[in-house]
Amino acid sequence: MGNEILVGVGEFRVAKGAVLKTVGLGSCIGIALYDPVIKVGSLAHVMLPQSSNGTKRSAKYADHAVEMMIEAMERLGGDRNRVIAKMAGGAQIFKHMTMDMLRIGDRNAEAIKSILKDYGIRIVSEDIGGSEGRTVYFFTSDGRMLVKYSRGGELWI
Amino acid sequence: MHSIENLGEMELDALKELGNIGVGKAATSLSQMLGKLVEMSVPKAMVVKIQDLHKVIDVEEMVAGVVTGLDDVENGQAGFLYITFPEPSSQRLAEILLGDSSDEEMVDSTLMEIGNILSSAFCDATAEMLEITLIPTPPSFGRDFAIAVIDAIIAQLAEKSDYVVVFETKLEVSEEELEILVMLIPNERFVNYVFQMLEMVE
Repeated sequence: MGNEILVGVGEFRVAKGAVLKTVGLGSCIGIALYDPVIKVGSLAHVMLPQSSNGTKRSAKYADHAVEMMIEAMERLGGDRNRVIAKMAGGAQIFKHMTMDMLRIGDRNAEAIKSILKDYGIRIVSEDIGGSEGRTVYFFTSDGRMLVKYSRGGELWI
Repeated sequence: MHSIENLGEMELDALKELGNIGVGKAATSLSQMLGKLVEMSVPKAMVVKIQDLHKVIDVEEMVAGVVTGLDDVENGQAGFLYITFPEPSSQRLAEILLGDSSDEEMVDSTLMEIGNILSSAFCDATAEMLEITLIPTPPSFGRDFAIAVIDAIIAQLAEKSDYVVVFETKLEVSEEELEILVMLIPNERFVNYVFQMLEMVE
C-alpha cells in the first residue's frame, strides 16, 4: 500500500502522500485529520479521553493529540479552518468484564467529539463502538480511511 | 515512590525471578489439571515504551485473552496478569478438558477458569515472596487482536507513565502442541514491592 508509516500506541504522525497505519485498536481510537486542499493528513492512536492539569504533552490524550496534529499540519502548510476529521475504534472488547474502569472506549469517543467540536472541526465519517478490534489505514493522498476488523471484513470511511 | 523508568538490571532480574516463581506455581496447577507435563520457556522481563509495544507484543495475532487484576488487599490494585491463548491452543485445551470445543460459551468459560486457576497460583507464590496479600480479581475475557484485548489496561497505566514493565513467559504442553502466554504487567505499586524486597535482602 505505497509508503506506509506506522503510528504506535499513544503516538501521532503527520504525512503528505504516505499511508498512515495504526494496528490493533481496541478501546483506543484512531483519529485522522485532513486538509483536502494541500492534501496533508495526520493520524493519532489515542488511549485516554483527557489530560489532567500539568501532565506532559502527549498524543496519548485526545485533547493533546488533536492540538499536536493541528500544529504539525499547519507547519506543513495546512489550515485548521479547512481540516476535517475521521475516526474509528472505541470498541468494547471484553465479552465478560469484571473491572468497570476498563469501559473506556465510549468515554474516549465522547471526549474526542467534544474536543473536535471546540475546534470547529467537522467529523465527516466515523466507525465507533462494537466489540471488534480494528486496524486503520489513512491515505493522505486522498483522505480515504480503510478500517480492517480483527475477525475479517473491512470498511472504507 | 519508585517509578517504572527507574527499573534497572537488578530490579528487572528480581522481577524476572518473582515472575518465574509465580508462573512456575501456575504451571504446576495447569499440569495437575491437564494431567500432562507443562514446560515453561525462559522468561523475559523488559521495560517498554508504550508506543513501542508493537515491537514486543504480536499485536495482530488473534488470541483468546484473560485479564485478571492483582488486588493487593491492603493497598489496592498492583497490576495485571494477561494470559493469552492463541486460537488453535484454545480449541485444543477445550477439547482436552471438555471433550469437544463446539460450544463457544463453554470454551470461553473454560478458558476463564484456567485463567482463574493460573492467576490464583501466581498470586499465592508471588505474594509469599513479597510478604503481602495478593488476590486475583475475577477474570475479564475477550477474543481479539492481542493488543486490542489489553489496550484499556495499557491506557490505565498510561495515565501514570509512558512506560510499562512486561514480564512474559510461555507455558507449553509439547505433546499437545499447546501454548499459553502469561504476561505480568505490574503497576508502580508492584514495582515498589520489588524495590522493597531487594532492600530487605541488602
